Amino acid sequence: MLKKSVINNLRNIVGEGNTILESDSLKAHSLDDVMPKAVVFPSSVEEVSEIMKLATKHSLSVIPTGGGTKSFLGNKPPSADIILSTKNLNQVLEHASSDLVATTQSGISIEDLQSELGKENQFLAIDPPHIQHGASLGGIIASNDSGPLRFRYGTFRELLIGLKVVQADGSIFKGGAKVVKNVAGYDLPKLFVGSLGTLGIIVEATFRLYAVPEYSQTYLANFSSIDDCHNALMMLTSSDLAITSLELINPTLALALSENNSIKYKADNYLLAVRIRNVEQAVKDQISKAKQICSNNNGSGTVLSDEVELGFWDDVINFPWALSNTQRTVSKASVLVSDIPKLLMSLDALSSKNGITPYVSVRAGSGICIISFSAEDSNTIASINSLRSFAAALGGHLVVQEAPISVKSEIDVWGDLGSGRSIMKKIKSNFDPDNILNPGRYI
Amino acid sequence: MTTEHKTKSSSWKNKFREKLIEIIGNEGVIYTEDELIAYDSDALAGHRIKPIFVVLPSTAGQVSQVIKECHKEEVPFVPRGAGTGLSGGALPTEEGIVISLSKMNKILDVDIPNQRVVVQPGVVNLWVTNAVSPHGYYYAPDPSSQLVCTIGGNVAENSGGVHCLKYGATTNHVLGVEMVMPDGEIIEVGGKTLDHPGYDLTGLVVGSEGLLGIVTQVTLKIIKKPQTVKTLFASFDHVEDAGASVSGITARGVIPAGMEIMDSFCIQSVEAAVHAGYPVDAGAILLVELDGPEAEVEAQMPIVEEVLKHNKAIEIKVAKDAEERELFWKGRKSAFPAMGRISSDYYVQDGVIPRSKLAEVLSEIAELSEKYGLRVANVFHAGDGNLHPLVLYDSTKEGDLEKTLELAGEILRVCVDKGGSITGEHGVGYDKKSHLSLMFDENDLNAMNLIRCAFDSKGLCNPGKLFPTPRTCVEPGMKTYHVHPVQKKGMGEMY
Repeated sequence: MLKKSVINNLRNIVGEGNTILESDSLKAHSLDDVMPKAVVFPSSVEEVSEIMKLATKHSLSVIPTGGGTKSFLGNKPPSADIILSTKNLNQVLEHASSDLVATTQSGISIEDLQSELGKENQFLAIDPPHIQHGASLGGIIASNDSGPLRFRYGTFRELLIGLKVVQADGSIFKGGAKVVKNVAGYDLPKLFVGSLGTLGIIVEATFRLYAVPEYSQTYLANFSSIDDCHNALMMLTSSDLAITSLELINPTLALALSENNSIKYKADNYLLAVRIRNVEQAVKDQISKAKQICSNNNGSGTVLSDEVELGFWDDVINFPWALSNTQRTVSKASVLVSDIPKLLMSLDALSSKNGITPYVSVRAGSGICIISFSAEDSNTIASINSLRSFAAALGGHLVVQEAPISVKSEIDVWGDLGSGRSIMKKIKSNFDPDNILNPGRYI
Repeated sequence: MTTEHKTKSSSWKNKFREKLIEIIGNEGVIYTEDELIAYDSDALAGHRIKPIFVVLPSTAGQVSQVIKECHKEEVPFVPRGAGTGLSGGALPTEEGIVISLSKMNKILDVDIPNQRVVVQPGVVNLWVTNAVSPHGYYYAPDPSSQLVCTIGGNVAENSGGVHCLKYGATTNHVLGVEMVMPDGEIIEVGGKTLDHPGYDLTGLVVGSEGLLGIVTQVTLKIIKKPQTVKTLFASFDHVEDAGASVSGITARGVIPAGMEIMDSFCIQSVEAAVHAGYPVDAGAILLVELDGPEAEVEAQMPIVEEVLKHNKAIEIKVAKDAEERELFWKGRKSAFPAMGRISSDYYVQDGVIPRSKLAEVLSEIAELSEKYGLRVANVFHAGDGNLHPLVLYDSTKEGDLEKTLELAGEILRVCVDKGGSITGEHGVGYDKKSHLSLMFDENDLNAMNLIRCAFDSKGLCNPGKLFPTPRTCVEPGMKTYHVHPVQKKGMGEMY
């Protein structure tokens, strides 16, 4: 329980209707089974600042959240005093459409933002999961979440050009600028992308936009061998095609997707999806070249357009979060594109050894492998550890994004932070000397 | 952290020099007055400070040992690449040493299948493209100095170039670095694979102007040459119309690989120098390069032409082949040196504005030029709103330089007032540190200082740059000092 005076102060800052304090309602906001003591919904930057001053004064931990769709990210928190939701900070402050730039408050949902930008035929070039469930702009920035569009547009690090942050002690600063090119001062936006609410609370962001491409198609190819599939992939990445997304899907997941999506699929085949968004003629030219490259490598498939195409990518984006989640563990492994087959082979070896059935979707042009499986805790932990050392041996790494709490208590979800670890700790302690921002979950 | 460092005795200097020679060898330590002169400034030649020594290490280990000595003896050190920087970022510090990375100039790994190149910091920008172009790839950031400037310097300044409108600046092409921290520790951040767990230190180090440590290895991303490239130029009577065309093109959703504007001053001097085929009587020309799949470029070309005509373009000329395209660009890339033909001295500014404000800012610059009685030539990366006004002056004329700096400062103020930035690619360095507070208030600067203090609590790494006023670091564990309300009201003192 929070002290009576703290509760009163919180109510005074955000208003009675913008607090949750009853344990029945608080339970629904638990993080890894840790129930918060209060949830507050500030409506202005100043209110966020007041809350942080109060938290600093009483050494209360604050967990910033947006749409609350990724509360499973990070290690299990030791405690959670206040959840600070940016949900009410949801305004578009400026959409400078002819500059292809927008500034918004951080709590705006990506869904609302895209529909606003869509009015000018523009969009924010990021397609992470959980959008339909209200994922917010600030949450995507803080978690550096991304989707298949990253092959063409990168992650939020390439899009964010400016931000405003409330620090642990309540002071407010801005970094970056509102112009696409700027090198004045340190690149604070980069530091905050993926900082998971540990350095400050992002309250505003300025980011670059793109025009919505006129036309889109996807060539979806089946390959009976991973080698053929990978050869096609390497030829595609080294071609001069302007590919938007490139996804490699393992046979287990391919089967699950085909059942869901009525796409043509051959049993035990790998799928390679090549998406091109451009003017219509450029899409058609390039899809036929992609088809040629696949067919030269013994791949055959179909062209997806319209709703079928959108449905397919929706499933890819929301994998594995749309699958059933009994005891599910989701990992993100990162390796070089040339090493993707090695990682998939090692997963196959693990599946027979540890009795796991991994579903895998690979952002094939980036080497990012999203892996999901369910197993007994001991098998899960053993599999994570072997996969992690295998990825490390390839110069890569593995982060556990979601796992049963019993598994999380046995591992560090982030893995080795490398030789930069101590400087990260120093940055954290300089920005948050009392360690009140999202403590114990990340850095 | 302060920028004042005690004058050292000559016996101390001798001992320190011996130490450096022990680490690097005699040939890697420069200490004679004659040789030191070559290092007393970068391309911002108006400011000169002679370092006590210059060291030329060959390995990260040597850099680390040198820095450990500096850390122990509290000697400030300044990293230096090719010295082509325009903001004084490599200007030496009084009583400090310069660490030149020019001997660390090897390309260590060319990984074509994964589109990665690992280089030492002294590698020249263009060497990277040269190394990968036989495979159909190139390194996108292309500052005008790419024939000589080094990757280490590009990392420090987050250098741009004429193609960063579509492809981004250095920060979008650096995936990791090995660096020596200001206490001598060697760390590796990022790497050939993506999404390393932890804070994005790579993103923080790129563009940090050499204040956070010395980069000793860089992992770069290379990209495939586009299917088609089309370059055109359009001439206008007024530079404002060229400016309006730029935002007109992006507003239609077309993002060219590059868009560059030159005004009549530039056109005339460039034509006299390289004969690029620009019309000498035009008020301005706009250079547009489209690249990508053939069908995309074909579809975009009419849109671009339509916007240009709508904005009163007089002539539109599309380069007929690669040779003519090269010539168009040659004119643009030689704009700075060509300016030397019409004015003995010029000062380059580097402001940024939202591209939709180009036309109005250009008019304001023209008014300022008139007010100060100094000619201003405009050449700039119009696509991303990055202006390079060149203020022409005569250094032999009493007070001309002072007036020039004042005018240049006013131009920056206009940029910031329009929602822009004081620097798009040259960096703040020594030159523009006092202008940084036009953009950032005390809180913003304090946040930046938290970063610097995390890396360099002694303030030895490239001190006296970037920050408008010297800032100290609070010792770890100590809370920020808050003024008691009683003190604030002047009712009490702190003893």
